[in-house]
Amino acid sequence: MELLINLLINGLATGMLIFLLAAGLTLIFGLMDVLNFAHGGLFAWGAFSGVWFYGVTNSFTLAILGAILTGVILGFITEKLIITPVYGNHVQQILITLGFMIVLSEMLKVVFGPNQLAAKTPPLLSGSWEIGDVIIIKYRLFIIIIGFIVFGVFQFILKRTKIGLVVRAGVMNKEMVQALGINIKQVFLYVFMAGAGLAALSGVLMAPYSGVIYAEMGMEFAILAFIVVVIGGMGSFPGSLLAAILVGLAGSFMAYYVPALSLAVNMMLMAIVLIFRPQGLFTAKG
Amino acid sequence: MKSTFQVSKIILFAIVVALAIFPFVSDSRTWTILLTQIFIFSILAMSYDILLGYTGIVSFGHAMFFGMGAYATAIMLDRFEPTIGIFVLSIAVGMCIAGIISFLVGLLTLRLKSHFFAMLTMAVSGLFLVLAEKWRTLTFGNDGFTFKAPEIFKDRMMYYLLVLGCLVLVYLLLRRFVDSPLGRVLIAVRENEQRTKSLGFQTLHYKVIASVVAGVIASLAGSLYAVSLRFVNTSVLTMDITLDALLMTIIGGVGTLIGPIIGAGVIELAQHYLSGLAKEHPIFERWIIFFGIVYILAVIFFPKGIVGTVKHLFWKRKNPIKIAISSKRKGIAK
Repeated sequence: MELLINLLINGLATGMLIFLLAAGLTLIFGLMDVLNFAHGGLFAWGAFSGVWFYGVTNSFTLAILGAILTGVILGFITEKLIITPVYGNHVQQILITLGFMIVLSEMLKVVFGPNQLAAKTPPLLSGSWEIGDVIIIKYRLFIIIIGFIVFGVFQFILKRTKIGLVVRAGVMNKEMVQALGINIKQVFLYVFMAGAGLAALSGVLMAPYSGVIYAEMGMEFAILAFIVVVIGGMGSFPGSLLAAILVGLAGSFMAYYVPALSLAVNMMLMAIVLIFRPQGLFTAKG
Repeated sequence: MKSTFQVSKIILFAIVVALAIFPFVSDSRTWTILLTQIFIFSILAMSYDILLGYTGIVSFGHAMFFGMGAYATAIMLDRFEPTIGIFVLSIAVGMCIAGIISFLVGLLTLRLKSHFFAMLTMAVSGLFLVLAEKWRTLTFGNDGFTFKAPEIFKDRMMYYLLVLGCLVLVYLLLRRFVDSPLGRVLIAVRENEQRTKSLGFQTLHYKVIASVVAGVIASLAGSLYAVSLRFVNTSVLTMDITLDALLMTIIGGVGTLIGPIIGAGVIELAQHYLSGLAKEHPIFERWIIFFGIVYILAVIFFPKGIVGTVKHLFWKRKNPIKIAISSKRKGIAK
């Protein structure tokens, strides 16, 4: 029983981190029809800048805010420099965002050095609770709570505010939104920056969770996020949450019971979904 | 047009002859090895160009075919005797495996839109990487293993000539392939898949053929690569190989065949010199950053790459009217 609960919490925590990364990706795709292969780079920048801010200020809150700020600024630069020139051309988008991914992860090595860095868990969140035989690691619970809060906030913005309405309408039909006199390009920029900020948040939360950070982690996690976006349905926000939890749980249970398959299980999940239900489990409409 | 075509053929022939004589004139070991590397990556980049440049599909899993060839040759030379016969057989085996896998993967994935295809190829290639890391009895995982190359290739010069021969052969075959009616259909798919479909072509079949051809040629490049190093590990299956092929194709010029060769030369040479400059300033250790930037600029401003841009300039000087029409057409297509 306690094993089951531990695996469940592990899976949920990993799932939440992937969700934060995939949420931005799925919104950007749904709205702008851009698959951002540089998303993992923003994630890694979030992790490194977060660890740097934590080292300087010694405050985890400031580290999180600093990382999000870095992500948002990078998102602004990416949208303006990289995405805008190639709107509408899928092949060029794939190529150029992948190129930017290389630049981002190499820049990381230039700025922070090529070696992996150790990331400490803040003292308030380190350690664990013991309830009977069940050991709950505080930090994992913290990630899960943050994940649900972010989901709630974004769900509120999407469903209850004007900008959320525009974004949802844009996902369904962007030409129509534009025809109604809304500057959709501006909305694209905001959504991209928000997505980049979420990626950076995911990165900074990931750092103490895994203990070490390295430039290549961006790509590794981005692949998981792509899988989640495909399984959840491109452009579907709740879909990406459920798919992320599914991928997280599948990873944690497989790693325990069938370790040889743990890395392959997600890819198989995606392949099965793509072959039988290419639009994903959830669709963005409605 | 006809006369320039002849001239370019003669120039190409002269370059090949010059490259073939090169090892007899110079005995620089570094250059022989460097050129061998360039030729091998030219083959890989050309095969990638069949997908990206001629059919207009972006695959992020090209490394898996390269890796299949590399492992097929390495394992067979290691388990059996290192003779020429086994070497040729292992290339054939690698090509067959790559052909079958690319056929199956292509059949399953090429129906999907470009984004999904790119991601799924990335995932499948990731699966093969994991498989190679885990199947240690066969591949020795990330540590890799060394093996003996056939006796005759102990001489670097012989191997250089063999690889050059392969490069010329692959170039001629692929040139024939893309100029054939089948190749024309591939170009049509790149330009406008919907319209090609409405003309009655089953585009999926053509795309699968393109992916099988590209996979088989990539496997050949992998086999040659493994023997040139006499060592193989899982790095041949990583994303880096795909990225190399991608950079070479884009920078050299997509859809030209000569472009990827020039791209391979530019990148390998620049890599050689820039990593040599690392002693001067540490930024040169991160030489790939320059390529990233050049690549992004190329995608935005020179989507045709070096060869495409040069060709474009020459063509413009000779046929100002034709270019006006073609650029107008492009405007409509957008």
